[in-house]
Amino acid sequence: MAAAVQDASTPTFRDIDRSVLRVMEMPGTAYWIWIAFCFSLVGIAAALWTRQIYSGLGVTGLRQPVMWAIYITNFVFWVGIAHSGTLISAILFLFRTRWRTAVYRAAETMTLFAVATAGLFPLIHLGRVWFAYWLLPYPNERFLQPNFRSPLVWDAFAVSTYLTISALFLFMGLIPDVANAREQSKGWRKTFYSILALGWQGTDEQWRHYSMAYLLLAGLATPLVISVHSVVSWDFAMAQLPGWHSTIFAPYFVAGAIFSGVAMVMTLLIPMRKWLHLEDLVTPWHFDNLAKIILLTSLVVSYSYATETFMTWYSGDKIEQMTFHMRYFGPWGYLFWVMVLCNCLIPLLLFSPRIRVNLTALWIISIFVNIGMWLERFVIIAGSLAVNFNPSQWAYYRPSITEIMITVGSFAWFLGLFSLFARLLPIISMTELKEGITWLKKALRKDYAKAA
Amino acid sequence: MSANLAHRTPSSASDAHGSVPVASAAFKGLLVALVLVGIAAFAAALSSGNADRAWQAYLVNFLVWLGIAQGGVVLSAAFYLTQGRWAGTTQFRLAEAFAGFIPLGFILFWGLYFGRTLIFPWVLHPIAQKAAWLNTPFLFARDGAGLAIMTLLSLALVRISRGPEARAWQLSSSDIDLPPPILRKIAPALSICFAVVYSLIAFDLVMSLSPAWHSTLFGWYFFGGAFWSAIVTVALTAVILRGRLGDHNVFRNPTVLHDLGKLVFAFSVFWIYLVFSQYIVIWYGDIPVETFFIVHRVYYMPWKAISYLVVFLMWLAPFVTLLGVRPKQTPAILGTIAFGGIVGVWLERYLLVVPSLSQHVVPLGWVELLITMGFVGAFVLCALPGLDLVAAAATSGEMQEGHE
Amino acid sequence: MSGSVEIVGSFADEIGCAHGIEKLREVKAIGVRVFSPIPSHRIEHAIGKPKSRVRAFVLTGGILGIITALALTIGTSWEWNLDAGGKPVVSWPPFIIIMFELMVLFGGISAVLSFLVHARVPAFEIAEGYSSRFSEDRFGVVVRCEPADSAQVESILRDAGAEEVVRAAAWPRADGNAVVS
Repeated sequence: MAAAVQDASTPTFRDIDRSVLRVMEMPGTAYWIWIAFCFSLVGIAAALWTRQIYSGLGVTGLRQPVMWAIYITNFVFWVGIAHSGTLISAILFLFRTRWRTAVYRAAETMTLFAVATAGLFPLIHLGRVWFAYWLLPYPNERFLQPNFRSPLVWDAFAVSTYLTISALFLFMGLIPDVANAREQSKGWRKTFYSILALGWQGTDEQWRHYSMAYLLLAGLATPLVISVHSVVSWDFAMAQLPGWHSTIFAPYFVAGAIFSGVAMVMTLLIPMRKWLHLEDLVTPWHFDNLAKIILLTSLVVSYSYATETFMTWYSGDKIEQMTFHMRYFGPWGYLFWVMVLCNCLIPLLLFSPRIRVNLTALWIISIFVNIGMWLERFVIIAGSLAVNFNPSQWAYYRPSITEIMITVGSFAWFLGLFSLFARLLPIISMTELKEGITWLKKALRKDYAKAA
Repeated sequence: MSANLAHRTPSSASDAHGSVPVASAAFKGLLVALVLVGIAAFAAALSSGNADRAWQAYLVNFLVWLGIAQGGVVLSAAFYLTQGRWAGTTQFRLAEAFAGFIPLGFILFWGLYFGRTLIFPWVLHPIAQKAAWLNTPFLFARDGAGLAIMTLLSLALVRISRGPEARAWQLSSSDIDLPPPILRKIAPALSICFAVVYSLIAFDLVMSLSPAWHSTLFGWYFFGGAFWSAIVTVALTAVILRGRLGDHNVFRNPTVLHDLGKLVFAFSVFWIYLVFSQYIVIWYGDIPVETFFIVHRVYYMPWKAISYLVVFLMWLAPFVTLLGVRPKQTPAILGTIAFGGIVGVWLERYLLVVPSLSQHVVPLGWVELLITMGFVGAFVLCALPGLDLVAAAATSGEMQEGHE
Repeated sequence: MSGSVEIVGSFADEIGCAHGIEKLREVKAIGVRVFSPIPSHRIEHAIGKPKSRVRAFVLTGGILGIITALALTIGTSWEWNLDAGGKPVVSWPPFIIIMFELMVLFGGISAVLSFLVHARVPAFEIAEGYSSRFSEDRFGVVVRCEPADSAQVESILRDAGAEEVVRAAAWPRADGNAVVS
């Protein structure tokens, strides 16, 4: 590998093209086995969902008082994952951050498929999926309309907007790259890319309007990111339930979303870099910066836990204090402490510059963060519902095989779609890498052994 | 090159060199007079039966001006953390200019001890359930310790930031080299402590004035507002210095004002987001122990008018005005919005503190005005050495390689 | 246009390309078109066209989104005016959220649509002078001028650092080197 780095420290436009387009060649058997594995898990999940539609939500473990549990946890988890992609591609674009270019396409792809996965869960959670269109406003003979005062309707609008804008943003970014791929491919791929590239030729007129549209989309996507996860958090904060009714939820959830999302980017990107031979383009410096974002958001999440704990005591509200006591020391208390370990303690390792460029350590830490953030949503959602105002209602929740397999299926669905995309369309933005080629050369020459 | 330059030694180790006097002796005299008037007014208010108003004004001003000074240093730390260099050494000097007030602010904090019976309702009427937290010794110990840590960290960061190694980094255009190692430790430490300490300040000095009320987002909201108050003060200072420093200062570069305008815009939106996050949760839940705080301030006159004015000055005006590119680069517009922002911040702190202590009357008269003037005088006086350094940096022609 | 000639200059870097364009503006060229694989501020600055009108469309789209949201939420609330949770039938805090989301949605869709319209994309014809290398690693300046000026144009392009300067008709469209099959 040392020899490759020697040459690769001064890449040209052609080198970038070669490295990225090479990924899109016909993949080997191992890849197809992986795809088959993913989509067979999806098939199992789909079968179980079909059974659920047929038999009703009773096949799940949902019972009073815990009527929102794993499905909603998955929904919030996946929407959260989606946010970091837009953060990296849109927000860091506005900040003119250099290192973003090599990772943002993968992150934005992750966003699109994460939102697509998340969007399934409200549908899965509906008992009568065939009435899903009732969420939308349309004229009807009984003059019924969605209740715009309900956070669930805000959610429908927010997530739909986010799905649309993310898709548009990803698509816009792809156009010049796909045009490049069109020129350098043959056969069915050439036809496919030609259609997708919309005849893009990179004239000055086209770039002029493109740059403006891209900048404005980034500018729109930025507040959108903040608003969508805030709206998702308000699904809970609007309720009067102790453990849910808290003003800090909006920014706390946004920080948590970026936290889990950037960790997921790392979980995907580290193996991808190795298996797709992208070491020349995605350097340890990129991961160092991603790790710093993880550390920052981890601190914000820890701050939120501490503030909520303090405020529960300070408020003097006995019911809220009981809810939190059960959260920390009740039957599910072990989940809470695992969560604290994963979200608050393990990321502290990222204060060390050495760990931040050690890709194995980073990958392990990112897995822990994903576990911790999934648990956090579960603890908040199902945990607070289980010990609500009325002790005679208290009951803990047991997930059923349907819910477990659908959860597994959702991960397989996400990974499968992401893997398909990675081989079909440029997973790194060649255009932006070329734009920032001076910076890339510096990053490749940087001596990471000196721990930055 | 400007004619009124004193010493220009960018690589000088001492911060006594390389400074250009910004204020004339007459101006300094005026500031001293303001301080004396403020002290006299405070004493007069104490002895004329307006002691509660005096202490309220003291607390509000303490929060506002210390928030600006501290927020400025945090802004400098943020520049280090994000490695955002767009105006060479000047942006750092500008953000750190008000740090001189921080030690004075620390001393003024202890002054609150003497007014505690009139400021904190729980001193004379302790609340049994919260007494472990809301008692005089513990409150002053924890907040005093927190502010001490912030003072020490801030002064350290400012001192190092003015040193030669930091200045070399500020001027370099290499966008991949990190700041000097010590700054890589102090900047995050300062930022983390800012969030924690100023949340404590918010809970203890503002939220506890209505001890029945609580909001988990309040600390974040408070220090977010303090950060924005520093940004608008920095923007206003940049606009003022632009006019006063002659034709070849860094502030004449339109991208500098543009970047400052973007910061004003962005964090104003962040502020209204934090306001809305609290408002919608409390409004929707409609739980009386939470709503009374908001209702008192937003639904009924006389405080309602002040609430609307605060939202206008801190969000609506900056948002609508600074949306385009040109207005951000126009000094008159940016300066006016920034000045309005500072007034808005003062009114906001006032709106948070005083209705808890004065239910139906909006006390705004000679007491508040003169004490505020005193604080303004003290603040600007403390900031003068820092501003001299800004003037020097802005006129020295020091920019990054690659900028014109 | 009868009698006009198209000359293509191929540059390996954007600085030379921008330099060449600036020099060309002093000549009476009929038209200049630049192909580049990356967006370049230098080239955009050198060409000197006004800012794209996409901005105005996005602003309009955003405002339209806000109005639509207000109409939708207030209209449907009046039509089905059930008291839900004691909140006023037309209550602004929730409606602000919908206003914001639709503002972003309409603004974003306007950005993409106005880009497609202004850039005339999808484009079904290949512009004169285009070569596949201009999507990979070369910058192309295509100048349309009178035959009398063609020598001057060619020398300007060469002085600015063009690797190749040819007539458009002789320019190969495709490279023939496929990387991906």
